[in-house]
Amino acid sequence: MKKHSVLLKEDKCEGCTNCVKNCPTKAIRVHNGKAKIREDLCIDCAECIRTCEYHAKYTKTDELKDLKREKINCALIPPSFYGQFDENIDIENIYYGLRKMGFDLVVDVALAAEAISQKTAKFLSENQGSYLSSSCPVVVRLIKLLYPELLDQLIPIKSPVELMAEKVKRSVIEKEKIKEENINIFFITPCPAKLSTVNNPLAQNNSYLDGAIAVDKIYDKLIDILDDKDFDKNIEKKYSFENEKPYLGISWGQSGGEEDILNNYNKNGTISVSGIKNVKKVLEEVSRNNIKGIKYLELVACPEGCVGGILNVKNPYQAKYNIKKLVEKYKNEKKEKIMVKQDLSSYNFELSKKFKATDVSKLAADLDKAMEKLTALEKEIEILPGLDCAACGAPDCETLAEDIVNGQAKRTDCVFMLRKKVGDLADEMSSLAHELPPVMGEKKEDKKNNEG
Amino acid sequence: MNSNRSGGVILQEKKLIEQRIERRNFKRGGEVSSKLKSILRKLGVDNNIIRRTSIITYELEMNIIIHSLGGKIKTIISSEYITILAEDDGPGIEDINKALEAGYSTAEDEIRELGFGAGMGLNNIEKYSDEMDIISSSDEGTRVVAKLKV
Repeated sequence: MKKHSVLLKEDKCEGCTNCVKNCPTKAIRVHNGKAKIREDLCIDCAECIRTCEYHAKYTKTDELKDLKREKINCALIPPSFYGQFDENIDIENIYYGLRKMGFDLVVDVALAAEAISQKTAKFLSENQGSYLSSSCPVVVRLIKLLYPELLDQLIPIKSPVELMAEKVKRSVIEKEKIKEENINIFFITPCPAKLSTVNNPLAQNNSYLDGAIAVDKIYDKLIDILDDKDFDKNIEKKYSFENEKPYLGISWGQSGGEEDILNNYNKNGTISVSGIKNVKKVLEEVSRNNIKGIKYLELVACPEGCVGGILNVKNPYQAKYNIKKLVEKYKNEKKEKIMVKQDLSSYNFELSKKFKATDVSKLAADLDKAMEKLTALEKEIEILPGLDCAACGAPDCETLAEDIVNGQAKRTDCVFMLRKKVGDLADEMSSLAHELPPVMGEKKEDKKNNEG
Repeated sequence: MNSNRSGGVILQEKKLIEQRIERRNFKRGGEVSSKLKSILRKLGVDNNIIRRTSIITYELEMNIIIHSLGGKIKTIISSEYITILAEDDGPGIEDINKALEAGYSTAEDEIRELGFGAGMGLNNIEKYSDEMDIISSSDEGTRVVAKLKV
């Protein structure tokens, strides 16, 4: 069972340091000409997949062939998926299309998103302080790793995917009188991070998902089905599960969507931030209490929100536009500005565990030892050239210094240090070359002295 | 690193950051706070203490930037305390007790329009630290020492 879903194709890696320099958690080093991801530091944000020119980084998701015939296969559709189609798409056709591809049950995560918005609004009105959204797994892992002082501010509610997966599992097991192992829930995922949560759930003992299939792995097949003139919509619904068409929840697929819905409930300040670099900057400010008057921060790691996920097909800005149009269309159809009426008690919002820090930055177990190591680290930083060229395979000199102090690298991994050492050795050799064996030298010296 | 003998126990003490803070350089406000946070994390300091240290250091940085002619921040850690020391070149605080009240500020309108100087600074530092001391005179400027138990 892999801990991470972002992986490396060794044969394609050229050993350049693009990924190393662009990794927001400094998790990659190039050693022996190949990039290595440090598992304890990776948050599956996929920035390395985005920046690798050689397509050496990839993600391994499940595929349609992983659907088991003997089981009930359920597909969960994320809101961002609708951004991959133009505004004229009828989302019911997407349900039919997916059923034709082999899914027995197709459920919309946007409904769970709508439910979460209502739950969040209630939570915010009942609790003091400001809170951070916990829906994006990359943001949660980022906070666990780099901003653990903010863990208490993460809103303690399941993510839309997990919330819906739990509800579906519970309802189907009850209605169909089947065992849990006979239902498999697959998420149609826009990002590797959601795939990682299948094996590595956040603040839960187990994920309610059984797998995740990348958007780009099913998109072309789905398009073929939808384009087919003889497309037969009358596929028998084998398993009943109430699923009204959502619309406001679809806007969760883009940055600002959650904020928009929340603003219908709360008059408190909310902001939405997307893109991992921007999220880091804002968290830094939150940490020093310099984000003022804001009750809730919607934080998503991908640019423009989930539509910016690397497994999507459409450009995020186009996808954003498509979602906007689709939501408008449904709004006009319903002629109301309300969400789908749902029984909120049918959901189990609570997380079974607390968000915990990923403790990896400590130099040593006790403070005195860590202080000693810090002094060594400061000296090492002083010695290294500070050019941050990354030729050593670490993203910058400071990180190399830390690796050296932790015994994971050598000072001569730095080309400038190596060059200096070679230079010093050459100097020493040359001065040694001019020295004579003591017997000879003494004789000459003696002669000179005697003459003098 | 210095070692002091106090009551038979060897106390390790280490200077962490010493940085000059320029008057009215708002963009660099928070630099010391962020750097200190990353060092304390390396030292394995408790997250709650890191958060409080972060807030205090930022307030002290901003006070120098907004209210003083310039100054410096020095941070020290020992086995017992994290100490943040802020010293500026003046002009000094007229009424310290008043400055410690929540919401009290002497910031000019121009600064308030930028969203800074709403008061609360010193008051927050007092709230989040375990010990705090402030000395101020019109000749020598202001010196604030905030300590947090490790």
